This record gives sequence, C-alpha cells and structure tokens, in this order.
Amino acid sequence: MSTGVPRLVEPSSGLTAADPLEFGAIAGRTPWQLFWRNFKKDKLALAGLVFIVLLVIAAIAAPLITKLIGASPPNLINTDALDSFGTPTGPSSEHLFGVDPLGRDVLSRTLYGARVSLEVALISTALATFIGVVLGLVAGFFRGWVDSGISRLMDVLLAFPALLLALGLAAACSLGDGCAVSTPLQAAGLATVIVGLLGAALSFARGRREMVGASLVVVGFGLFFLLIGSFFTIKIEPGAGVVIFVITLVSWTYIARIVRGQVLSLREKEFVEASRSLGASDARIVFKEILPNLIVPIIVYATLILPTNILLEAALSFLGAGVQPPNASWGAMIAEATSVFDTAWWYMLVPGLALLFTVLAFNVVGDGLSDALNPRQEGS
Amino acid sequence: MIRYILRRLLWVVFLLFAVSFITFVIFYLLPSADPAALRAGRQPNPALVASIRHQLGLDQPWYVQYGRYMKNLIFHFDFGFSYQNGVPVRQLIFSRLPASISLAAGAAFLWLVVGIGVGIIAAVRPRTKLDRASMGLALVGISAPVYWLGLVALYLFSSDIGLIPILPGANSYVPLSEDPFAWFTSLIMPWCVLAVSFAAFYSRLLRGNLTEVLNEDYIRTARAKGLSERRVVFRHGLRSAITPIVTIFGLDLGILLGGAILTETVFNIPGIGRLSYSSIVRSDLPVIQGTVLLGAFFIVFANLFVDIFYAFLDPRVRYE
Amino acid sequence: MKSIRVCSAALLALMLSLTVVACGSSSSSDTSTKVGAVPAEQSLTGKTGGNLTVVASSDVDYIDPGAAYYQFTFMVTTATQRALYSFGPDDAVDAVPDLATKAADVSSDGKTVTVKIRSDVKFSPPVDRAATSADVKYAIERAFLPTVANGYAGAYFGDIIGVQEFQDGKATEISGIDTPDDTTIVFNLNRGTGGVVAGALALPISAPVPKEYAAKFDAKNPSTYGVNQVATGPYMIEADAKGALTGYEPGKKINLVRNPNWDRATDFRKAYLDTIKIEEGNDDTTVASRQILSGNGQVNGDFGPPPPVLKQIVNSTPDQLALTPSGGLRYVSLNTTLAPFNNLNVRKAVLAVFDREAMRATRGGPLLGPIANHFIPPAMGGFDEAGGLTGTGVDFLKYPKGNLALAKEYMKKGGFPSGMYTGSQQLLMVGTSGGAAQKSSEVAAAQLEKLGFKPKLRLVTQDSMYTKFCNVPKAKVVICPNVGWLKDFADPQTILDPTFNGKNIVDVNNSNWPQLNVASVNSAMDSAEVVVGADARNKAWAAIDRQITAQAPAVPWIWDDTANIRSTNVAGVINKFNSNWDLSFTSLK
Repeated sequence: MSTGVPRLVEPSSGLTAADPLEFGAIAGRTPWQLFWRNFKKDKLALAGLVFIVLLVIAAIAAPLITKLIGASPPNLINTDALDSFGTPTGPSSEHLFGVDPLGRDVLSRTLYGARVSLEVALISTALATFIGVVLGLVAGFFRGWVDSGISRLMDVLLAFPALLLALGLAAACSLGDGCAVSTPLQAAGLATVIVGLLGAALSFARGRREMVGASLVVVGFGLFFLLIGSFFTIKIEPGAGVVIFVITLVSWTYIARIVRGQVLSLREKEFVEASRSLGASDARIVFKEILPNLIVPIIVYATLILPTNILLEAALSFLGAGVQPPNASWGAMIAEATSVFDTAWWYMLVPGLALLFTVLAFNVVGDGLSDALNPRQEGS
Repeated sequence: MIRYILRRLLWVVFLLFAVSFITFVIFYLLPSADPAALRAGRQPNPALVASIRHQLGLDQPWYVQYGRYMKNLIFHFDFGFSYQNGVPVRQLIFSRLPASISLAAGAAFLWLVVGIGVGIIAAVRPRTKLDRASMGLALVGISAPVYWLGLVALYLFSSDIGLIPILPGANSYVPLSEDPFAWFTSLIMPWCVLAVSFAAFYSRLLRGNLTEVLNEDYIRTARAKGLSERRVVFRHGLRSAITPIVTIFGLDLGILLGGAILTETVFNIPGIGRLSYSSIVRSDLPVIQGTVLLGAFFIVFANLFVDIFYAFLDPRVRYE
Repeated sequence: MKSIRVCSAALLALMLSLTVVACGSSSSSDTSTKVGAVPAEQSLTGKTGGNLTVVASSDVDYIDPGAAYYQFTFMVTTATQRALYSFGPDDAVDAVPDLATKAADVSSDGKTVTVKIRSDVKFSPPVDRAATSADVKYAIERAFLPTVANGYAGAYFGDIIGVQEFQDGKATEISGIDTPDDTTIVFNLNRGTGGVVAGALALPISAPVPKEYAAKFDAKNPSTYGVNQVATGPYMIEADAKGALTGYEPGKKINLVRNPNWDRATDFRKAYLDTIKIEEGNDDTTVASRQILSGNGQVNGDFGPPPPVLKQIVNSTPDQLALTPSGGLRYVSLNTTLAPFNNLNVRKAVLAVFDREAMRATRGGPLLGPIANHFIPPAMGGFDEAGGLTGTGVDFLKYPKGNLALAKEYMKKGGFPSGMYTGSQQLLMVGTSGGAAQKSSEVAAAQLEKLGFKPKLRLVTQDSMYTKFCNVPKAKVVICPNVGWLKDFADPQTILDPTFNGKNIVDVNNSNWPQLNVASVNSAMDSAEVVVGADARNKAWAAIDRQITAQAPAVPWIWDDTANIRSTNVAGVINKFNSNWDLSFTSLK
C-alpha cells in the first residue's frame, strides 16, 4: 500500500497571482489559462479527469441510474437469488454483475459504493488539508516554541503505525453510540490555553515580543476548542463519520509538514521582508504574501493524498471498521468476497476494479496537475 | 555528533512513552468488551466478577493501571497478559515476530531491486516506449489495493484454487526453522503482492529525481569530460538522486516491521499485523499496547537511523 | 447452557476472513438418507497407530480443564480427562460411567447425590498415583476459586452446601462434598436439584485434580494449573518430567501424546491414534477446509466448512462430510421489557413475519439444519414431547417463509390498526460484525422492516456484543439477532433455564436476553428443577418449552447441525454429544 508520503517536489517557484509577469505576459494569458493549456497536453491526465467527472455524476445520480437500468436496489436482500447452499449466483440478465452473499445486486452496490468512497475521501482530505494548512502556517510563520510544539505533536502522531491507529480509533468509536469527543476536546482546549498562556508569559519575560503574539494565537485556538467542547455535544457516529475522523487524523500531518517547510522558506524571501519593512502586520503578511504562494503546493499535495485516502477508507472497510452495513462500500465488498472469491469471482473483481480505476484516475490527474503547475522539468 | 545522537535518543524514549500513554487512554476511555465479564463465564454472581476485576487490576483508577503497566514494562520487560487467554503478551509478540520480519525483509529486497532498477531504466531512456510502459505500470501499481492484488494473485496462482496452480496458497506459511523451502515458496506471492505498490512508488520517485539530476550542469560537465554514460548515471547521478529513496525506505521498512496487516490477513500469515488486528477487534488491551508499542518502536528507530544518517552526511543538521 | 458462543468462537476468529461458518447443517436425528448423515451406530473398530491433525481456527477457551467451556475444548478434555461420566460416540443423551463405576445415586428428595468411583485410574506423570474421591472433591472446589473461575460451576453446583462459605473465603473446603472413603463421593445439596447435578457431572469439571500437585498453581493469579495439568484419559498434553506442558503453544498448537499411565482395561475408550496434533490459527476456514479435504490424516476442529466448500463437498465427495445435530439452536431475541416488544401480540407479529428460511440461507441453506419451531433442539430429551420438528402448533410459527398477512393481524391486535408499526423511535439492534453472523443480523433487520419497524443495526465484535450490549440489561438493547444457546449436557433444563427463567436475569453476563419474566413460567421451572428421573424431567421441561414458545420472546430460526469434515484416510468417529470428532475412537485407515 502506498506510504502516503507525497512525492518530494520542490516548492513552486511561484506561479501565482503575485507575479503574473513570469508567464505568458506577451500572449496575455492568465496563469489559470496557462495551467489549463499545460494540463490539456497530458492526455492521460485528461482521461483521468473525464473519468472522475463521470464517476462523480454516477455517484450522485446512483438512484436514478439504478432505476433506469432496472437493477435491484443496493440494499435489497434477496435470498432467493442465492443457490440452495446460500452461495451467490453470477452475472445474469437480472443481475448484470451477479449478486453478493446476501442476494443483493452487485452493480447497484458498486454504484452506491462510489458515493461512500468519494464522500469520505473528499471530506477527509479537505479537512486534513485545512487543519494541515492552519497548523503548518502557524508553525512555520511563528517558529519558536510554537513551531517546536506543533512539530513534536506531529512526531508523536507519526510514531503510531497509521493503519493501527486508524483501526483502533475506528473500532473503539464504532461501538453502539460512537465516541463523544466533547470532553477530550475540552481537555485539549484547556491544555492548549494553559500552554499558550505559559508560553506568552515566558516569552514576555525573556523579551521575545514576537513570540508573545504567537502565544496569544495559540491561546485563541485553545479557547476555541474549549468553547466548542463545552457548548456542543459532539459525538462521532459509527459509520462514515468515524472513518472521516480517523483518516483526517492520520493524514493532516503530511500537509502540515509540507506547508511548514514552504512557509519557512517563503518567510525569508525578499518580498516578505519588503512588506515587513513597509510596516505590514503579521496577519497581512500571512494572508497577502504567504498564503497566495501556498495555493499551488496545497492543491498539488491535496490531490496527492486524495487517492491515498480513498485506499485508506477501503482498507478500513476491508478490515471491518468502515461504514456500517447495510451501506455498500467497495472495501467491505472485497472483504465479503474473500470467502467466496474462488467461485464468485465477480464479487471480488467488480469493486476491486472500481477502486483501481478510481484511484488510478486521481493519481493520473494529480500527476498532471503537478506537472502542469511545475513546468520546470525540461526534457523529462 | 554524539550529542546529537543522545538528544535524539532521549526524544525517542519520550515518543515511546507518549505512544503507550495515548494508546492506553484511547482503549481505556473507549473500551469495548469487558474483560472481567468475559473471564467470569456464564451467570457468575456479581462477587465473582468483582473479584476477577480486582485481580486483573481493572478496578484501579486509570493512572494507577498505567503506572503498573509501565513499571512492569520497564523493570521486568513484562508486557502483561492477554485478556483473551492469559498468555504472556511478550511470548505472543515474539513468537509472531519472525513471520512479520520474513515478510517485510523479503518484500523490501524485492521492491528495492525492482523499484530502483525500473526507475533507473526509465530515467535513462526518457519518453521511450519502455519509459512510458514502466511508468504506466507503476501508476497502476500504486493505485491497486494490496489486499485486492493478493486476492487476484491467489485466484490466479494458488495451488489449491488458482487457475494456474503453481504457488502455495493462503495459510501455507511455515517458519524458516521448520522447512526453509516451504517457507520460501509460501512467501513468494505475499512478497510480490506487498512489493508491488512500493516498487511502483519508488520507481516513480527515482525516475523523477534522477531525471532532474541528470539534467543538472555538473552532469553535463561529466559527460563532456568523456565519462562513460554508466559512470555518469551511477557514480554521479544516482548518488544524489538516491538520498530521498534511502529516507523513505527507512521509514517504510520501519512501518512494515510493525506488521503488514492487510497482506498478513489475505495470506493468513501468523505475524504481528494479524495479532494487532485481532487484539484491536477483541479489545485485548495488553496485546494492543504491546503491538502498538512494537510498531512505534520500529518506526521511531527507523526515523532515528535515517536522521543520524543525514546528520552524518550533512553536518548542518546536527545543530538544529 | 453455554451460548452459541462455541461456534461463535470460530466466528470471532473469523472476523478477519469474514467467511461464512457453517456451524450446523441439515438433517436431524431420524432420516439416514440425507447427505453426510452419521449412522445411528458408527463402526468403532480401527487400526492402532498414526498421527491425526486437528485443524482449528482459534484456540481453546481455557487449557485448564476445570475452566473449559467451549465444545472445541471439550474435544480435548474428553481425550485427556476422565470425568465422573462421559458420553460415548453414539449416545448424545445418556452418559456412561467413566471415572464412576455406575450411574449416580440420587435420593428421592433430590438433595443427595452419591457416586462410586473406580480405584484403578491413575494420573499421568509426575503425579503417577491412582485418583481418589478427594481429587474429585478438589476438582469441584477449585472450579469455585476466583483464580480458576469456572463459568458454569455456580449454575449447576451452586446448591451444594458450603459453596457460599468457600467462595467468601470463610472455609477452606466445601463442607457439602463428603468423601467417606477413597472411592465414594457424596454431594449434599440444600435444594432438591440432584437430578441436574447428576447430569452436570458429565462435564470436565468433575475430572479429578490432585490437590497436593495443583494447589500451588491455583494459588497464582490467574491459576497456572492449566499449563501444568495432569491427565487421567488415554491422552495427555505433551509435558516435561515436572509436569509443565511443552506441547501447548497458545493460539498455535496443542500436541497430545499417549498417557503412559492409562490402562486400556479400565476405560470404554479405544484410543487408536498414537499422537494428535491440534494446529490453531487457521483463520481462513475456506482454505483450511480445502486442506483437510485434500490432505492426509486431518479433521476439522472448531469450524465447519463454509457454504461454498460445503457445496463442493456435497457435489463431489459427500462421504468426507459428517453432519450431526449441534444440540443447540439460534434465535433472534426480542426485549420483552421495552416497547414495542413488551406487547405479546406485537412479538407474535414479528415471529409471524420472519422469513426464517432466508435466515437459514445465511448459514448455508437447508443442509445446515431444520427450521426451529420451538426451543428444545433435536436429539435432546423433551424435543419430541414439545412438538418435535413441526412445533407446538402456534400459528405464528407455522410459516418458515413468514406470513405478512398473519403478522399484520397480530399487529392490529397489538394496537397498530394499520397493521404496520407507526412509532417513531429507532429500535437498537446489536449484532456481530463479520461472517455469517453479520449476514444473519442484516437479514433480521430486513424482516423487521417489513412491518414498518426502524431497526438501528449496530455491528460490533462478538465479545462486545455479549459483554457490553446484549448481556447487559442496562444497555437497553431491543433486538439481539445473533444469539442462541447450546446444551451443556443432555438435560433440557440446560437449554431453557438460563435463557428464559425470570430469576436468572442478572446485571452482568445475562443470558436471558429477552428478559422473559413470566410468573407462571418461572414457577413451572422452579418445580421442574427438582424433578428426579429422566422421563419425568423431559415431560416437565417440554411443557415449559410450550409455555415459553407461546410467549414469543424470540424468533427461533434454526436447530443447526454441525458439519465436520475429514481427510479420506481418516476413519472418523463422531461424538454425537459434542458434535465433533471423537479423538478417542477415530483412527487412520
């Protein structure tokens, strides 16, 4: 399985809104148009994109499609479709891709399974990206103890075997009523507030004024969590919610590391210094100078971890810790197929191929994206 | 250098503490099965359940339980007893370690050879059919779920049910000490399946890096100096392109040594991965603690070695 | 007695491979023309020698025979331990004297049980001496020790005088067990449950344990006697000279070798095999089943072949299959204390609508056993008296495929004029994830939806399902679809009492999942507990079965048969009581 470490590409040299003169100024094209032109050249990436679009449409329109082609609904148990030993029957005119061990139609389950895979992967990637960007920014920009703290936190998280951690949390939260995170959130918030206040006090005492600001930002975060935890009862329900939660938890560190590295190098660049000398505040620098330069790598890395997250969701479902039955999930379908795959090969093949092509399409698009956005590799 | 290593070692110890603490908290706060009730059997009287609970130490507050666990671990290297069957966790773990190591080591060798080989070939022959074909295959390799590949491999080649029955199927693992030949043949399919995604990833990575390096000026100089292409690629190009590979390899191996859950499941190999999975499913906290700690141990030490290796190469790192 | 945990133990281990375990199969006791049926009288002759490999998916529950409770573990204990009474291969109902010399003597008031034992049964090395009544007394005492914690001692032997004081630590022995001489043991009870005690003596708890050897192990917490045990049967677990087991690796293997101190002349067992190797950890039962079928000298241990393999066997080599009633049943329990199932008519409606054939299909179809129509399973006393295969005659259990119209009638009687459930609450339903159990729970949920119920199906690990949800009344689980029960021994009380007696509802480890608490049923059971004599007991408990069925506390859906398989060169003998291979009679061809 993929290690999840994105390909080590050097930071973008800045195809951004900040310096449009770098490319195509003569032809008068915007950077986005240029990017699209480069992207289009990669036929494979284009094919991948088309596939993804079709997949998304199919997932959204799954109920409609099922009705149109006359397939049985995905959760309709029909033991009459099984033979006298309770084993599934194969492709037939009624069931284009055969049935699963409970007599449910494989085609419709595969279609509905796309929903799960896409939804979980997209949401968790988006969340992980958001958290990673925020924390990476804070760490890289403020440096000092804030950076150390966040980096150490990432180290601890990364020390866990990822799949085990995800499994453990998913298994623990999948029982009965799910896991209530309000109390841990409150505790974490309180701890952050205390640490932040301590940091502020120490920095002030040591005369490091800039760290006081950073510490106050940390305190702000802590208060935020504390308040959320106190006023809302947040419970992570078994099923898609748990899976999104654990996948987010194990993948935000990759984005955070990259963003931190980027910010570290960006903050030393001249245009940042220039802004500072003009009297720009920290916030302005972050939002006007640094963040725009981060957009490209963020997009690139987000698209790189997306396929990994699809595979991770499928792996969790395969191990039984994913979405709850009777909802279909490709990983769970493959898991159910392990006992019957030698005779019911269709039940293993169809969801597996669906997974393969989906992940492949995202990988290809990701490749195309990063190639189009980093057009430095001449001759490759 | 020594100071750097010591500092890192200290951090490693702290990390392991943190991992064990967090694992404990997670599984303590979110327990599933009740071990005392499990042990007490059918319809015990409450007094019996209470006394079992007391004997397992489950009626103590969590920090006392954790303290006891850590004390036993540090001073006696005692990982406790499995809630499931009372077997010492240390025995469980060490009896299953060889299988996981066999799997990881063999796969690692395979993916290094294939990954690096394919990466080099693709890089020195850019944009040829060979390049495109191998990179295409690599794309497929990183996109396929490993357990699905395992099932497909079994379906095709397993000696009992496969279409082309040439290799021993699932559940055929025997330890090396018992029967080296059977051990080897039983691991061929798992090795290949496990190595696929890594080999694919490494070949892409290496190809990318090597291509970049080969376009650098100093390479052009080397060529201009009249050095053979082979020397250029291997002596000069590969040297710089290989360092990220080494980093990632260390990390990947570290993760795998802790147990390749998915591969072990599909091929029914009695390794640490399966043990950790079944212990999570049964909420067997002592075993979970043991396997997670073991996995974390391998990961942090792999990180440590890689960092030391870098510090060795690049003195600036030591002073961070 | 024990819950369907036995087959579910295999299911637990199968969480990984998520295969369908065939924990039972078709025909019941009578017809012998069915595929894989075991003849009424099996051939008990065989060649001496050779090694048998027992392929198992997971481990025994406890290697200590005094704590063992799984059917799979009994496979081992019946070969290594001589309980007071044991079951021969062909008779699943009447135990034969094993360590005892003749049937137990139960006084007419049921308060005294006297057993005379042999004097010529020796312990394996290093104890080496003959077993005495004091050893049987210690075996039963140690079962009550918290370091051993036998799961059924309290249920069947809790009425012995002095048990409470012993458990509280106030006494160092159980005063109610008398050993007037080396070959006599007397149980004095404070209630007239001698009939039950006599039956329970057929369990490994009554196999003698030498106190002077075992006490030091029992003092440890948990007791380490299991890994230092001695044997009285024809086989023993390989051990060193001091008695420490060398042939047991938890989760991996158990090696049985001949007990040098076993005297063939004193035992009804034949013990043809020289060695028996139990190989555990074979989670993938599909692969393991195939290995047994194509291999040499192998039999299955704690799992049955999954339906696809079963299909293959039936179509090609049916003689490698042996199907016997498991002595248990599976049912979907409805919580009678929570709405809407506190209404009898609503419960009857659920029973009427259930497509029990669909449930059975999840286990492998008709081959796996008959549809259950009441609660006492076939091959047990009281089965025929309670209606046999056809059932007690209630209309709501008359239709194996379910009858929606009839169900709606009952719903109307239950206060839902439209015939469908109109309440808004979701009903908490907790099942086991993975394998056939998950499938059964999904099918069960679908049945409930036919009447408009909205079940909230939560799938958890089997251990959690029991210890955190279904066995805990406070968890307020409305429907438990993956429960069932297996007999402990051949008395019908063991099927009905723990599971439907109101007084057995406990806070922890509750096995009366429906929490049925009907005064008339409870008092009938109280009376039936103290009845003496097999015929009278069967009649009494059969009547109770009818009463329980009329209360519709659960949907009984299969009296499953256990499917056992063997390699072609194994002359396998099935122990019908234990529903698996009898290691003391099986031989190689």
